[in-house]
Amino acid sequence: MSAAATTGTYSPAAAAGEKRRERKEELRRHLAEDADWPRADGRSFHDCRPAFMQTGPTTAASGSAYAEFGKTKVIVSVFGPRESKKAMMYSDIGRLNCNVSYTTFATPIRGQFAFSFQGTDNKEYSAMLHKTLEGAVMLHTFPKTTVDVFALVLESGGSDLPIIISCASLALADAGIMMYDLVTSVSVSCFGKNIIIDPTSDEEAWQDGSLLVAYMPARKEITQLTLTGEWSDGKITNAVELCMDACSKLCDILRELLKDASSLAE
Amino acid sequence: MEYVNLLTGFRVDGRRPNEMRQLKGEVGVVARADGSALFEMGNTRVIAAVYGPREVQNKGQQVNSKEALVRCEYRMADFSTGDRRRKPKGDRRSTEISLVIRQTMEASILTHLMPRSQIDIFVQVLQADAGTRAACINAATLALADAGIPMRDIVTSCSAGYLCSTPLLDLNYIEDSAGGPDVTVGILAKMDKVTLLQVTKYHELLLIAASFRTPLVLSSIHTNSITTILHTMCSLVKHFSCHLYPEGHCFL
Amino acid sequence: MVGLSVGEKHFIRGGIAQDLRADGRRRLQFRAISVETGVIPQANGSARVRLGATEVIASVKAELGKPSILHPDKGKVSIFVDCSPTAAPMFEGRGSEEFSAELSVALQRCLLGGKSGAGAAIDLSSLIVVDGKVCWDLYIDGLVVSSDGNLLDALAAAIKVALSDTGIPKVNVSLSAATDEEPEVDVSDEEFLQFDTSSVPVIVTLTKVGKHYIVDATSEEESQMSSAVSVSVNRHGQICGLTKRGGAGLDPSVVFDMISVAKHVGQQFISVLDSEIAAAEAAE
Repeated sequence: MSAAATTGTYSPAAAAGEKRRERKEELRRHLAEDADWPRADGRSFHDCRPAFMQTGPTTAASGSAYAEFGKTKVIVSVFGPRESKKAMMYSDIGRLNCNVSYTTFATPIRGQFAFSFQGTDNKEYSAMLHKTLEGAVMLHTFPKTTVDVFALVLESGGSDLPIIISCASLALADAGIMMYDLVTSVSVSCFGKNIIIDPTSDEEAWQDGSLLVAYMPARKEITQLTLTGEWSDGKITNAVELCMDACSKLCDILRELLKDASSLAE
Repeated sequence: MEYVNLLTGFRVDGRRPNEMRQLKGEVGVVARADGSALFEMGNTRVIAAVYGPREVQNKGQQVNSKEALVRCEYRMADFSTGDRRRKPKGDRRSTEISLVIRQTMEASILTHLMPRSQIDIFVQVLQADAGTRAACINAATLALADAGIPMRDIVTSCSAGYLCSTPLLDLNYIEDSAGGPDVTVGILAKMDKVTLLQVTKYHELLLIAASFRTPLVLSSIHTNSITTILHTMCSLVKHFSCHLYPEGHCFL
Repeated sequence: MVGLSVGEKHFIRGGIAQDLRADGRRRLQFRAISVETGVIPQANGSARVRLGATEVIASVKAELGKPSILHPDKGKVSIFVDCSPTAAPMFEGRGSEEFSAELSVALQRCLLGGKSGAGAAIDLSSLIVVDGKVCWDLYIDGLVVSSDGNLLDALAAAIKVALSDTGIPKVNVSLSAATDEEPEVDVSDEEFLQFDTSSVPVIVTLTKVGKHYIVDATSEEESQMSSAVSVSVNRHGQICGLTKRGGAGLDPSVVFDMISVAKHVGQQFISVLDSEIAAAEAAE
């Protein structure tokens, strides 16, 4: 580790940078081979990480859910519907308030999201979460009131936003908030010609492009779609269909989970 | 540094000590506002927009229901200064200038004619090359006139400074950052009344107490010349508003 | 916001359904665009774009900085948008922050490409001066002066024009023997390098009102939207970014249809913009 040696003190940022560059080289070498190489964690291109989801981790909230996809760990609590703040104007439909925050230990470098990205990343994700959920929640069923959705990322391991979205819709269902359908979300990264699903943070850091789909399988509606990088028409169609398929499967799992939870409660 | 050439008497940008920078104004630049104006003094360029008179949005801010509530916000674009810096909104300087503009304009607006209503003046600095205060007030006047808001008189403003033992009118950025004293004056031109007088580096002014009158007088004389220019523009506005309101708000 | 009566809403929706909008345009027709370059002399490049009553200013400033550890061979570009309260009283104080952030994020997504730098509007490796030591940091600032809908498209167009107006000073680096030391940099104030802006995309926002979608919506039309999809398209017909606004979900087939329409309209918009840029440069 020459960078650390010359400076004399150990700097995690520099060391991490060096290490990540090595990993990037490895990733690029794989790409050159252009085959369905097993990814760093042994998955193939179109495999999601093993997921663990559960409802009801926080008892104080009206509904909550915990999701773990590989290293990414997210907890979402839903409060309400409760009275809107006094300063709010009268509204005959309900309000949805979304907030996404990161713990200081969520990233390899402490507080990377909490400090350097404060005001952008968290706010960006909060706004995205709101836009994704507002089309699914039946806001007219709770006029004059607010539902608060608080998401906390315990550990960031890639594909944070899609996991937050899926976890939030599970928490909303747990809280008994009326929804048209469960919203599930999956993202893909693109590397040259290849599309890989559910990328880890390493893969996200070197991706050529990304695509996120939030989908309501029962209504066959896309509630959110974002895309970065350069894409051709055909590739978008493939990627969106891949995501939609994964979303439907994830939704089935969530539904089973909710059924189990309610039968257990009885 | 030599701000005034000893031989020729010319300033760094080639102006004479009592010469203003190039002035340019345009009304109706923001389509959706009730009144708007772009005003340029040399490289200083500001846009003002007026919304109102309209219903008071926040009843708590209304102090006197018999008079219109005048509000003002001054904002600088991120790219307006030479070195780009993202400033937090509502810092001390902006708050102070907002207050100055609000008070100056309020003195000229016939607020008692518009009870229970609110007038918003928004000033956006596109380019700052010293004298933004004065430029903002001139722009705000034009925008208010464009909005057809009844006023006692047109408020005009200009700054002046004192460098190299010479009173200088309408400082540019180089002269402004030289650290000499400067004054900003706003006057009601026809009524010949001063509505704004701000002095910075007052102690230095005291040191050159003898010259105190000079920059001040110079400044107010030349605000009169801005007045003539503004008046020609305002007569255009008036012409325009006469078509809109045949009975006319005769504020000029 | 926009206050419309039931009759006016009906008129707008009806007009869109019949392919004749309130201002006489067809569904996929832009408003008249006017372009002016060099409006902010203090910046390296700047432009003002008017799209009907919408007016935005974009400025590009370049400053020397240090490349990040992860990308030692690339410069940095940041995009910020501010909405002036002159455009609408609701942007007063902190009122514009949320909306400005939304616009900034959408522009970053559409112009900066993937994390690896693929598909970026500007070739980031062209901003490097000395590998790992010195690079240009480009600050792109957008300012909304007057707002009548379709701000995102106008901002993207203004940024494209401003970039084509941008000259980056030529830099001479004196090579010192010790590689660890900071290299001495001599910034020329006479020679400027121009960007290759041919791959900078434009953004086309398709606003869905009722069953149909329209381009370049005015504020009144935007108030009637169920959802909107902004697609950024470059000259080669590649999609460089996409964002969706509005809560209502969209059928996947509609999304694909919107993308192909946006691609077609985007190509026309690029050629209109290119001729406007040429005219603005000739006028200078």
